Amino acid sequence: MMELRRKLEVLADAAKYDASCASSGSKRERVDGGIGNTEGMGICHSYTPDGRCISLLKLLLTNVCIWDCSYCINRKSSNIPRARFKPEEVVRLTMNFYKRNYIEGLFLSSGIIQSADYTMEQLILVAKKLRLEEKFGGYIHLKAVPGASKDLLLEAGKYADRLSANIEMPVQEDLDTLAPEKTISEIENTMADVKYGLDDAKDRGVRQDFARAGQSTQLVVGASASTDTTILTKAEALYKKFLLRRVYYSAFSPAEHTDVTLHKEKAPAMREHRLYEADWLIRNYGFAAHEVTQGLDGGNLDLDHDPKLAWALRHRSLFPVDVNRASKSLLMRIPGIGIRNVDRILKIRRFQKVRLEDLARLRVSLSRAKWFIITADHNPDVFKLDRASLPDALRKRAVQPELFAALSVVTSAVTGEL
Amino acid sequence: MLTHVRIDNSFDAWRDAARGLLANGVPPSDVTWSSGRQQPGLFAEATTAKDENREIRVSPEFLRLARTVACFDDAEKWPLLYRILFRLHHENRNLLMIESDIDVRRARVMEKAIGRDVHKFHAFVRFRKVENVSGDEVFAAWHVPAHFTVERAVPFFARRYGTMMFSILTPKGCAHWNREQLVFSPPVDAAMAPKTDEAEDLWLLYYRSIFNPFRLNVSVMKRELPVKHWPTLPEAVLIPELVREARAADTPAS
Repeated sequence: MMELRRKLEVLADAAKYDASCASSGSKRERVDGGIGNTEGMGICHSYTPDGRCISLLKLLLTNVCIWDCSYCINRKSSNIPRARFKPEEVVRLTMNFYKRNYIEGLFLSSGIIQSADYTMEQLILVAKKLRLEEKFGGYIHLKAVPGASKDLLLEAGKYADRLSANIEMPVQEDLDTLAPEKTISEIENTMADVKYGLDDAKDRGVRQDFARAGQSTQLVVGASASTDTTILTKAEALYKKFLLRRVYYSAFSPAEHTDVTLHKEKAPAMREHRLYEADWLIRNYGFAAHEVTQGLDGGNLDLDHDPKLAWALRHRSLFPVDVNRASKSLLMRIPGIGIRNVDRILKIRRFQKVRLEDLARLRVSLSRAKWFIITADHNPDVFKLDRASLPDALRKRAVQPELFAALSVVTSAVTGEL
Repeated sequence: MLTHVRIDNSFDAWRDAARGLLANGVPPSDVTWSSGRQQPGLFAEATTAKDENREIRVSPEFLRLARTVACFDDAEKWPLLYRILFRLHHENRNLLMIESDIDVRRARVMEKAIGRDVHKFHAFVRFRKVENVSGDEVFAAWHVPAHFTVERAVPFFARRYGTMMFSILTPKGCAHWNREQLVFSPPVDAAMAPKTDEAEDLWLLYYRSIFNPFRLNVSVMKRELPVKHWPTLPEAVLIPELVREARAADTPAS
C-alpha cells in the first residue's frame, strides 16, 4: 500500500490545475466543542513561488479517471503515477493542517471513478466526516461532479461552503474535440441543480444551510481556438443564468502536458490575466461583455493595454470626462481610476474641487488617466487625447508585465470574492 | 512656546494628552511628542491642561481611525493624529472626507498598513505542538508583526481555535488562551520560539507539490509573502531551491 507521503505528493500535484483557492464569502461560527470557523474574509496562508496563494488544502481524492480530456493532466491516457486517498486520510490531513493555521480549509476534487454518482458520494463522505465527526467549522469547497444526481448535489451543499462544476470550454465544439465524454448541457444541468439548492434554501429562509459561499466554475484558456470574445460572452451568460460567484480562467500551458494535438499559444499567462481584468469589469464596473469585446482585433483582448484602457481608446469620443462633474458610472470608466478612488473623488468634490494633485495623492494611475480627464486645474495631456499615436504612447507607459501579473493574483486570489 | 509631551505608547495616553492640549488651544506646530514603554506617571509635567474635563467631541470615524493608527510602529503617528484632531476642530470638521489631504492620506496609509499587518498575522502564525499536559494538545507560535497588533489580531485565534490551548509569542507582546480567557504578557525574543512540529514534514511536502514551476513568479510571491516573514514560516526554507529548480527546468538543455 502506498504511504501517505507519496499519496499527498501525487494528489496535491494533480490538484494544482484548479485555479480557485478562494476561502471568502462564507460566515460560520465555531460549533460548541468544535474547531474552526469562517469570518467572511478569505485568508491566504502562504504563497508558492508561482505567486499563487495557499488558502485551502487542495487535493484530489484520486487522480484515477475514466475520462480522457486532452487538456487534463489526469486524463485516462496520461502516463502519470496514480493514487487514491482513503476518506479518513484526507480528514486527518485537513485537521492537522488546520490546527496549525496552515489553511482555511479543504478544496476536494476527484477524477471520475466508476460513475459520477459514486465519485460524488466519495467527496460527500469526506465533508460529512469533517463536519459531523470532527465538528470542523472551517471552509470546505467540493467539486460538483457533472452528471451527479440532484439528490447528491443537494446533500453536498449541506456540508460544503462552495460547490463548483467546471465548464472547462466555452462551446460544445471545443468539448467535442478535446473532451468527447463531456457536454455543456450536462455541466449546466449540474449548475442548475446547485442553483436550485441555493434558491430553495433562500426561499425557506435558511440560506446558510446550503453552500453559503455559492458556486463557481472554471474555463481552460488556450487549449482550444476559442477567442476571448467567446469566452467572456459565455462567462457573462453563466453569471446571469446560474448566479455564479466567480468564473476562474486557467491558462493552459502545453509545456506541462504532452498531448501534441493541442492548440499552442505564446502568452497564456498574460491572456489569462487580461481575462480576469475583463471579468472584473463585467462584475464590478458596469461593463457588459459585448462592450469589452466589441471591436477587438481577432476577437481577443489586447495584451498591451488593460481592457478598460483599450475600451477607452476605442471610444475616445466619450472623453474627456470632467472628474468634478461626471456621474459615478462614468467615473468608473476612466482608465487608471479604480472603484475605491471613484468613491473618494465623489466625497472630496462635495467640499472642494478635484485637481491633478489630488488624484496623484490618491495614487490614481495618472500615466493612464491623465489623457482622459478634465480637472479643476490645467491638464495639458488631455489635448493629446485624439492623437493617432496615443495607443502607442500608452503601450510603452502602461505595460509593466510584473505589475500586471501581480494584479491578477490580487484580483483572483487575494480578494477572492469581492 | 513649545510644549513637549511624553506619553506611554498607547491610544489612551495620547487621547488624554491630546484632550488637554486641544482644550488649551495649543496649535500642533507648538507641540513635540515622544513615547516609550515607561509608566505614564513618570512624566507628570507632560500634560498641563487647565480644562481637561471639558468634553471634546470627535466623530466615531476619527476615533476608529485614531485607535488604528495608534498601533503603527512609528512615533510620527502622535503628532499626525493631533494635527488632524486640531484641524477637525479649527479648520474643517469634514476633513476626513478630503482623502487627498496630506495628513488624512498619511493616516489612511497607516490605517491600511495596520489592516494588512493584522491580516498577515492571521495568515502567517504557525502553531507548533509543544507539550502534552494530561493528554491535552498545547500549541505555541512565534510571529513577528510589523506593528503593535497583538491585541487586535489574537482574538481571531481564540474564536477559531477555542478548544485548543495556545500561546502566540512576539517581540511586540504575547498572548495566551487557556480555552476560556485571553491573557496578554510582555514581549519575548526569538529564543523562546517553539522549535519543531510533527506535521511540518507533510506541510512542506504539500507546499512543494502544489507549486507550479511553469508559472514561476517570484516578484508576486515576495510582495504577498514578504521576505521579512520567511524566518517564521517553516515552508519558506523550500523557496530558494524551488525557484532554482523551476529556473533550471525552464532553460532548454543544450
